[in-house]
Amino acid sequence: MDQTSNNMLHQARDRAYQYNRIVFWLNGERRSAEIAPAQTTLEFLQQDLHLYGTKCSCNEGDCGACTVTVASPREGRVVYEAVNSCLYNAAKLHGKHLITVEGLGTPAILHPIQKAMLNFHATQCGYCSPGFVMSLFALLATLERPNEEDILAALEGNLCRCTGYDSILKAARHLAQTTSGEDIVPQSFRAIEPLLLDFSDAPASEEKKGVPLRHCERYQTPSNLDELSEILREEPDAVFINGGTDIMVQMNVQRRQYRILIDLSSIAGLDAIASSPEGIRIGANCTYSQILAAPAVKADLPYLSDLIENIASQQIRNFATLAGNVANASPIGDTLPLLLVLGASLVLFSADGESKIPLREFFLDYRKTALRQDEIIKEIIIPIPPKGEFVSWQKAAKRKAVDISSVVSAIRLKEENGVIKTAELACGGVAVVPKLSMKFYKAMLNMELQGLHPQEISEYVASEFSPISDVRGSDQYRTQLLQNHVLTYLQDFLQGRGA
Amino acid sequence: MKKYPDHISGKLHLTGASRFIGDEVPLPGMLHAKFLFAPVAHGRIKRLDVSRAASVPGIVRIVTAADVPGANQIGHVIKDEPLFPESEIMYFGQPLAMVLAEDEILAENAVKLIELDIEELEPVLDVDAADERGEWYVPERKIECGDVEKALQEAEFTLSGVTESAGQEHFYMESQRCRAVPGEGSTLTLCTATQSTMEVQEVMSHVLGLPAHHIIIDVPRLGGAFGGKERAGTLWACLAGLGAFLTKRPVQVLLTRDEDMKVTGKRHPFKSKWRVGFDARGRISVYDIELISNGGAYADLSIAILERAMFHAENACHIPNARIRGRACRTNLPSNTAFRGFGAPQGIFVIESVLEKIAEQLRLDPLEVRKINAYQTGDLAPYGQTVKECDISGLLDRLAHTSDYEGLKKEVAEFNAAHNSQKQGLGIVPVKFGISFTTALLNQASALLWIYIDGSASLTTGGVEMGQEVSTKCAIVVSRVLGIPVEKIRVESNNSQRVGNASPTAASTGSDLNGHASRIAAEKVRDHLLPVAVEMLAQHGVECHPEDICLEEGSVFSRIEPEKKTTFADLVREAYNSRVPLAAYGYYSTPGVHFDRDKGVGNPFHYYVCGCALSQVEIDLLNGEHRVLKTFIVHENGNSLSEEIDRGQIVGAFVQSAGWCTIEELPLDTKGRYLAVNPSTYKIPTVRDIPEQLEIELVPAGADYASVFGSKAVGEPPFIYGLSVWFAIQNAVRAANPVAQLRFPATPEAVLLSLNKE
Repeated sequence: MDQTSNNMLHQARDRAYQYNRIVFWLNGERRSAEIAPAQTTLEFLQQDLHLYGTKCSCNEGDCGACTVTVASPREGRVVYEAVNSCLYNAAKLHGKHLITVEGLGTPAILHPIQKAMLNFHATQCGYCSPGFVMSLFALLATLERPNEEDILAALEGNLCRCTGYDSILKAARHLAQTTSGEDIVPQSFRAIEPLLLDFSDAPASEEKKGVPLRHCERYQTPSNLDELSEILREEPDAVFINGGTDIMVQMNVQRRQYRILIDLSSIAGLDAIASSPEGIRIGANCTYSQILAAPAVKADLPYLSDLIENIASQQIRNFATLAGNVANASPIGDTLPLLLVLGASLVLFSADGESKIPLREFFLDYRKTALRQDEIIKEIIIPIPPKGEFVSWQKAAKRKAVDISSVVSAIRLKEENGVIKTAELACGGVAVVPKLSMKFYKAMLNMELQGLHPQEISEYVASEFSPISDVRGSDQYRTQLLQNHVLTYLQDFLQGRGA
Repeated sequence: MKKYPDHISGKLHLTGASRFIGDEVPLPGMLHAKFLFAPVAHGRIKRLDVSRAASVPGIVRIVTAADVPGANQIGHVIKDEPLFPESEIMYFGQPLAMVLAEDEILAENAVKLIELDIEELEPVLDVDAADERGEWYVPERKIECGDVEKALQEAEFTLSGVTESAGQEHFYMESQRCRAVPGEGSTLTLCTATQSTMEVQEVMSHVLGLPAHHIIIDVPRLGGAFGGKERAGTLWACLAGLGAFLTKRPVQVLLTRDEDMKVTGKRHPFKSKWRVGFDARGRISVYDIELISNGGAYADLSIAILERAMFHAENACHIPNARIRGRACRTNLPSNTAFRGFGAPQGIFVIESVLEKIAEQLRLDPLEVRKINAYQTGDLAPYGQTVKECDISGLLDRLAHTSDYEGLKKEVAEFNAAHNSQKQGLGIVPVKFGISFTTALLNQASALLWIYIDGSASLTTGGVEMGQEVSTKCAIVVSRVLGIPVEKIRVESNNSQRVGNASPTAASTGSDLNGHASRIAAEKVRDHLLPVAVEMLAQHGVECHPEDICLEEGSVFSRIEPEKKTTFADLVREAYNSRVPLAAYGYYSTPGVHFDRDKGVGNPFHYYVCGCALSQVEIDLLNGEHRVLKTFIVHENGNSLSEEIDRGQIVGAFVQSAGWCTIEELPLDTKGRYLAVNPSTYKIPTVRDIPEQLEIELVPAGADYASVFGSKAVGEPPFIYGLSVWFAIQNAVRAANPVAQLRFPATPEAVLLSLNKE
């Protein structure tokens, strides 16, 4: 760092920062608070409220030790969702009910979850335990009699290095069998639900001096598109986030600085999932969990639901968005190959109005997209493939759950009278952008099924890409994976055709 | 009614009310420490100028090697590790300077203003390169029995090879941390995440040039350690302590996850070269092995770890002719350190790989090959210790029975015949794990027990609580001796003023040593109380002697007239009134353990823990992923103090080990930097990675040669069971490609690429 940075360090102390003034409920109690720009819920709990039950272990949303439950209104009812408090901006708590481990029970009067975990000896060193308690709380507050898969999905984002999970699972299964939502959510929390549903206070802010965390000057939460238009016009270097699950990792771990963050998640009207003649329209604010819960997606795009179940953890799926995955444009973005083969398009919004762009024209270079600085993604439109088309995806990673892909791919195939009429294959993790395979398209289109040799095609397609070696896998491994993905698709396709 | 007591801190843990160092309100005036970490793995410091950073308003102090008042030395066994390097940088991420400020972010930014000129030197990262150059902390160690060369010449069959295992990140959930608080005069309290209170006290006192009694160590509990805080915590404790000493203000060192994973040592990777001779039945007559470990920058515990690898080189096989040589090599990595198993898993992995090869070559059943080689009671280990109460073969039979081994073999063969894209495999591994610190002097422990006037008890031991529940177990011991419920006993933080000179809580011995010390303390108190009880009962008209008195469930009575009782609380009050001591200090040392390092002969272990495991896996040949379908474990456990705790240790160790064998990988770049330094790239098992079916059978055998109340150590031995997953994957891979060479760990990538071998 040079002299300028030295000066910056001095100046930082006297700069004005925009704090978010929020009203929220904490463990059943109404509170108001001033949140430093981009302060996370975990920092807020520990540094401002001196509540240390919620633990920081990785500070990047990968271990679940900091799991808290957030209750918020959605479609006329209150949902209880587990989130990683290390990535969840405290400003997002406005109008919500934050439930932490301190809110459930005390050593003298344990909550049923705590009691079950005690009885099954489901705690050892104890550092991860509050996170597990809160993940189970969100699960049991949401689902009656959750099944094994529900339990695994709820807990896959919580790491424990001591127990080997067996005792925790036994406690969870016992709770799933023996409790209902009434036992789990205290009356005092239920009493807040109407208040959350009626809540309409506008978020406020206040200027303060000092050295806030990480030199973010302002964290803004526009509540409608008009407010957003103004920001888009006037703040050329604003950075837009929704869940913030990627940007917050950068800020927490790499210590990247963002002067102005605009949180889009409170903008009204962007959280709808609707069927339309063009396909299923998914608003930019829809979280993965909302998409998973949408009957239209489950019915018409079941493979998208399946894929989303294999992305990140419950805690992340509860506030990360599909639009964020697209805008982030990671070459290993899990949903991108599938969206590419489905022919998805994006509705973009700027102060000048709306425009539309096919996703396949969106990714320009490594983490570079066609999105202008003054634009956001407003909606994603996913056409529903006609019945009888073969659509599938595969994701390869080191670990089964909560892992980033080494290679992710998707395919769409249509055959008419023994001839291939649609042939789309897209891959992530093998190039600087998620990409449709040209070789696959050319080789497969109009091919007769009888002449289809999966092994040959898969080798041919793999030769199109030159993946790199990195911490998630060698080039050789990635090439082999891609080839095997294609082989698997074609074999499954032929098998489905009875060939 | 539960059979075993709850986790003694369970209610606190589950409500977020338990105290962890650093997860607590900052002390007034407390400073946060941030570090300048070495940007190269090997180099010479030419200039280190902190003046600009120090001039930033709000920066209270910047500490470097020049500020160390005593010895700039934190090495313990071998004095080779500076607190701050004065000239030679030995590993990437080595702390070079410490910035102290109340504002953490300010401190972090000021680090960037420190000016550092270095001459970069070529790092030695590879264990072969280090071995060739003779970069050993100490000369080669050797254990030998029989006549190896002659036996090799006479052997019907011989094989030789090289077997490698890899490192592992501890991934304790709570990172390295210490809060140092200055007291009156030059006293200093270190609330520090360590398994070794005595070592931290001793090293800190040398660094500050103060007598040990000026340094008070207090450890409430650890959020996991697994060996990673046996030695590795000393550096951070001493840095915090030095900062507090210099500034007279509380100082907190708390590493972020990324910092922790970048700069702290891991499990030792081992490379082993071996030769083996055996007959047509697979019986090994001779084994010649060189175990070579990558120890990193400083000696740390590498020599003891190497030694334990050597002691376990033959695992459960009785081999009449054995030569076991070991060399621990210095490289430019963060000092590799203790990690659950402490070298034994690395040594055992080699012999078990050899047994698999023998079975393969002779087309014998891997379980039979293990049985025919298994130790029996009365056999001598290569270092001369008589193996007692040991029935590996019987345990393997039991495993075959509970797992329906024959049925499983058939199932796997049928599955493999019917599937082209998936293959299944079985893996078996027995264990014979020696219990005791192999450094005999460490096998001692103390406990301080106070009974307060209301009958409640306060127990301090040297056993650091880190989730293994040494606290619960020691409380169980006291509760049994005094006949009071566990709830009446509070197990305190480890504190050097209450229990000094405590050995590390390590080597699975925590509950043995501290449990015994607690027992002795409780027995002393009981012996004080019994005469008082006799007098109290006499007032109720009960004539009895002290040996007739029973203390049970908070009641005191004579076994002659059990219906006439008094309470423990009344007894305690009466004892106090009668001026009888209500406290005791218990001291225990393990009998009969010794080892002559020069001769390689002795009785290093108090007893052995034996057991075996079998895993069934399925691999996908197209993506290399595996699923563990079933795992069966038969574990000899003596008279357990708490089967609930022991099961938790067994499952936890198994899953941690299965992680080491499969998905936990530590890629390193050519500059000596670890690349997977956070959980987004370093993958430990999740709830979805455990066996779909997991059966554990605890066998109450082995209690004759055991520890407190016939119980046995349980922390490390079950770690070996995870190897069964690796061998199962190897067998599944070989079902697809008989010449496949699977590397360690068996990541999806390793599996997939191994299939291509011709």
